[in-house]
Amino acid sequence: MSLASKVQFQFMKDLGAPALMALGKAGKKKRPHKPNPDFGPPLKCATRLKQIMTRHYFLARYARGARPVAWVTSGAPAELLRAFDFYTIYPENHGALCGAQKMGTKLCQAAEEHGYHPDLCSYARIDLGHHFTGLTPAGRLPRPDLLFASNNICQTVLYWYKALAHYWNIPLLLFDTPYNFRDITDSDISYMAAQLQEMIPTLERVSQKKFVMERFQQIVQLAHDTSALWGRVLATMKQRPAPMTIFDAFVHLAPVVSLRGLKVSHDYYQLMLSELEDRIGQGIGAVTNEKKRLMWDNIAIWYKVRDYAELFASHGMNFVAATYTNAWAETIHYLDQAQPFESMARAYGLVILNNNLNHRLNLMEQMIKDYSVDGLVIHSARSCKPYSVGQYDMKRLLMERLGVPSVVIEADITDSRHYSEEQAQVRLEAFFEALET
Amino acid sequence: MTRQEYLRRQKEELGRKVCGVFPAQYPKEILWALGLAPAEIWDPPLASEQAAAHLQPYICSVVRQGLELLMQGQAGVCDAFLFPHTCDSIQNLASVVNDYIGLDKPCYFFYHPKAPYGPPARAYYLEQLKSLASALEPLAGPLDLAELKRRVAQGQEVARLHGQIYHRRAKGELNCSNAAFYQAVRQGEYLFPDDLIPFLEGFLAGAGGHAPRGQRVLLSGVLPNPPEILSLLDDLGVAVAADDFLACSRRYLFAPSASSDPWQALSEQYFALPPCSSKGSPIQERLDYLLASAEQSGAKGVIFYLVKFCEPELFDVPILTEELKKRGLPCLALDVEINQGLSGQMATRVEAFLEMLG
Ligand code: SF4
Ligand code: SF4
Repeated sequence: MSLASKVQFQFMKDLGAPALMALGKAGKKKRPHKPNPDFGPPLKCATRLKQIMTRHYFLARYARGARPVAWVTSGAPAELLRAFDFYTIYPENHGALCGAQKMGTKLCQAAEEHGYHPDLCSYARIDLGHHFTGLTPAGRLPRPDLLFASNNICQTVLYWYKALAHYWNIPLLLFDTPYNFRDITDSDISYMAAQLQEMIPTLERVSQKKFVMERFQQIVQLAHDTSALWGRVLATMKQRPAPMTIFDAFVHLAPVVSLRGLKVSHDYYQLMLSELEDRIGQGIGAVTNEKKRLMWDNIAIWYKVRDYAELFASHGMNFVAATYTNAWAETIHYLDQAQPFESMARAYGLVILNNNLNHRLNLMEQMIKDYSVDGLVIHSARSCKPYSVGQYDMKRLLMERLGVPSVVIEADITDSRHYSEEQAQVRLEAFFEALET
Repeated sequence: MTRQEYLRRQKEELGRKVCGVFPAQYPKEILWALGLAPAEIWDPPLASEQAAAHLQPYICSVVRQGLELLMQGQAGVCDAFLFPHTCDSIQNLASVVNDYIGLDKPCYFFYHPKAPYGPPARAYYLEQLKSLASALEPLAGPLDLAELKRRVAQGQEVARLHGQIYHRRAKGELNCSNAAFYQAVRQGEYLFPDDLIPFLEGFLAGAGGHAPRGQRVLLSGVLPNPPEILSLLDDLGVAVAADDFLACSRRYLFAPSASSDPWQALSEQYFALPPCSSKGSPIQERLDYLLASAEQSGAKGVIFYLVKFCEPELFDVPILTEELKKRGLPCLALDVEINQGLSGQMATRVEAFLEMLG
């Protein structure tokens, strides 16, 4: 850490970032806005979300040398890093951003030029592509001092972060979370909790900060409360009409993923929740003519989010539930500041992708009932084996058990080369027909 | 005798139950001690018929063929199945089979900790060994500790014999074709140790002499399939000097533990295995291992057998090839589908690679 970097970071935080926000606002006013009659009024809090995320990526440019920097997987228990004041970057969130801005394929290709196979997870390829080219829609990402991965979402992140650790010769901390083929055991919990404690000396060394239990406990509590708010935000979609859509949730989950354990993220969901409650009070739906309610399975097809939102809304269909967005609300209630390590082990060891497929099926059944879901869209994501293997049987079982029709879209999260518009259209038309008759 | 015939005899004549085991790392000594015959399922040669209804086309052929075996009812000899936690695809396959397809045979799962191995990982692995044994006891128990000790000792003898076979091959003192070498080494996927040990001893005794004098290469990847690549190397007079296959040396080569406690011995041996992508070993460790193997065996190039869609391997390969090349070891990466033979184009690439080695 250098004094000059710290001063520069502080300056940007106090003056640079607010100036940028002001500029952003001024720019926004000039843009014409053409409302789509299929949608209700847009969420006002989106402006605040944009500010938060722009500021996060803007300040990231100045973080190196001023703050310890860690790159973190989306399912990793970042609360521990917050206790050492790490500036955290989530390559998966960055990958989604690249996908949404249609830069995904280009960055994937850059990784492929360095020998990474086109069949590998495209979040990983985007990240490696960024490593080789420096290209990013976020300006510049700070080179990390540490990598922090958890295989509770997939083993892929371990292979991917191993490559980064090799290129940069920096430490990689793995939070190894045994897969729950059946129920989680005491032995699993002790193993995970012990790993978190084992990491502390490395985190102290890299961050040059001492671990303080009370501060850690406060962060755990804040993360718990933030995720609980996120859960309440999602639960507003149980209302008919739903005041938001899953496509909104895909975008608005960025703070709970990337800034969990920080006050800004907690405050944001308070703001969002109160707006959603207002909308419910006024009967404002995200889709003006909500006739059918749908559930999404798997990560978003980031380059198609807008197109899909418009397409489904034009049929009076609203997505009101998704296993993916639910993941940051489902298990966090286990977090307990009185037993921070054990409760973190439970909360992070039980996330959906670390659980057997029976768990997922039961969860989906419950969500279908709770959210009054009429149909299911299953994204078979080529990048993501843990999310996708099992979907064909899941589709069959949900039809058998609940009679819920579904459609499988073969695509990818960010690599648009794996998306066939024609095939998707044929399948979706059949699906719309089945739902509308 | 075919694998199927051998396994049937294990059941019918010796009263052993058979446990189908998916790739890759598991403590087979525990199964042996329970009188369970492990039958590993890596690459059953079956036409693809039913797995496609359960798995997307982007899943590797090892997983696909394994499921095909179950769906076609060709694993009737097995009384149970064990799924070690090897990769995302095997993990989900285990759950698809157990939760969605519903075979009417018990399924077990074995989680092994991923690198790096600190004290919590070591303690956890010991507990996992014991909990696997307890889980299997209703099927084949009870477990007798003295029997476990005996089987651990047999496992160490098997490792010693494999070590000798590999060592003699590396020194050019094994007179057998590449195809015959892997046929022999892969007997460990189903032979009970009482038969495996004499088999390996016989193999060693019968394969004395010198390797062909041609070029020497190192093979890396998951398993030596398609075997046609081995035959091609044989035809071209090229000797495989060493390998780093997940199905072979990455599981077979370890220094026996001196511990008298069988659990401790199994644990120490697991952590002493060569580096492996599926266990999350740092790439540098694997690189060092490959470089040392090449140096000790005189291999002048590395051929990667890359099973299509195999993430653990595909992520390691770009750095490995870049670094190996920098150190004067040319590399060839082949995308393979198991049991799909060798295309003319692939054969040409192998030949061109070998010509380049000189
Ligand atoms: S998309 Fe799937 S495979 Fe890729 S990082 Fe996310 S969870 Fe892992
Ligand atoms: S080939 Fe690779 S992806 Fe397939 S089962 Fe083996 S380790 Fe897993």
